Amino acid sequence: MSKKIKLPRVAKGKKPRYLDDGSIDNLMAMIMTLTQEISVLRDRIDTFEQILEDKNVISEKEFDEFIPSDDLETTRKNRRHQLLERVLLPIKKDLE
Amino acid sequence: MSKQKHTMQPQPSHDESVRQDFVTDLRAYLTDEIYSLITPHYEKNIEPEFFQTNDRKPIDKSEVKTLMHNDKGYQSWSLLQRLSQQMMFTSVIDTVERNLDSMIDNLDKHQTTGSLEIDHSLRIPKYLTAYDIHQQPGGYHSESIENDISAGAVYDISLPIYSRNAMGEENDLLAQAIICYIDEHLKNIEPNHILDMGCGIGNSTLPFSKKYPNARVFGVDVAVPCLRYAHARANALGVEAHFSQQNVEKTSYESESFGLVTSTLLLHETSHDAVPKIINECFRLLEPGGWMIHLDVYPFHKKEDNPLYDFLKDWEVINNNENFSGALRNMNMRKIIQDAGFSDETIKFTSAEAAAKYSKGYTGDFYLKLPVYLAQKPTNS
Repeated sequence: MSKKIKLPRVAKGKKPRYLDDGSIDNLMAMIMTLTQEISVLRDRIDTFEQILEDKNVISEKEFDEFIPSDDLETTRKNRRHQLLERVLLPIKKDLE
Repeated sequence: MSKQKHTMQPQPSHDESVRQDFVTDLRAYLTDEIYSLITPHYEKNIEPEFFQTNDRKPIDKSEVKTLMHNDKGYQSWSLLQRLSQQMMFTSVIDTVERNLDSMIDNLDKHQTTGSLEIDHSLRIPKYLTAYDIHQQPGGYHSESIENDISAGAVYDISLPIYSRNAMGEENDLLAQAIICYIDEHLKNIEPNHILDMGCGIGNSTLPFSKKYPNARVFGVDVAVPCLRYAHARANALGVEAHFSQQNVEKTSYESESFGLVTSTLLLHETSHDAVPKIINECFRLLEPGGWMIHLDVYPFHKKEDNPLYDFLKDWEVINNNENFSGALRNMNMRKIIQDAGFSDETIKFTSAEAAAKYSKGYTGDFYLKLPVYLAQKPTNS
């Protein structure tokens, strides 16, 4: 059975306006830092997958069905906190 | 730890799962690290600047609003907070959309206990169709396919992300808070019939089935995709409850049918006209001596003296499609409850707390204390 459903992804309602030109600077800084971090991650995963595939140790299915342990989830949580710390630094500065 | 909490929930793929984790942590960061800076920033920078020009402090929330909407730090947090809500839903919708066919097929295996009644002629109230509450795309009522359950599934999976995993394994923290309150303050009640108004996916309905195993527990809502999901979810969790599509302003149940009528986070999603109708309906439905207990977001009995806090409380109203929650705070609830006929000395505006001993999986303190308002129908009525 394949009905190809497309669920709505935008909510109905008023859209408030937030930023003036001053904040766009921050936004740009954040977007660029994020892009950089994503690029670093992507390349690291690519390296990782390539090495594993070359050594015949893992399939794509195993990646998708992987469920992290509690310890790994904590490690990831801390890493995401540090990522957000770097990305959202300009906003913090505005509130100091 | 697996994100799938019961057999009606889909399993997210690796990338969907970590995308959802990111939103959980983003929301935690925004609250702990950014939102926490706003009050000190206001007191240190914004308020003194206003004082210099006006020789007084801002007196009410509308003055604070003008100042804050011109402050780029506040506006940046506000935008990010709104975006995090949108990112939450899109990251969950990916999982639900990808699994929707198999989830709908799976409904057949989840029909053993309880019941589900749908009223195809029911009109959804305008206060639920004018905008999508909490920015959930399509709201709780929209259907994209036959036997749609997507709105219910999206809500069920989003709640832990929204609440930073504070709602417990079965998303039932709020009902557990009501149950804690009953255990402490209304010790002797033993209702035979219980009604949960605006039950949605039944996450606040099922705890009453478990608490009162001899009672028949009913849940009503206008949103069909949530009700279908609620019935299947109850079966997945092995708990009996009876769901039906009805408007709580006027239900089809006979008068004096219930010993206990509850709601969680219902009233602030309705309207000026609906609130008195709902309270009157509670009175009609209760047996003499029966109780109604409503749990909501904001207390009624507290007047907010700090204009900054008063302004911040309206964030959801302006930014997260909770248009009525600000207006509800200004309604005279005591009078509405009195006018319905409830015993004056039993009307209480207080708060309920969930204790970890009542359910598993509570990890945060996000919602641990929420306002409840309750009243008893006179025993001689």
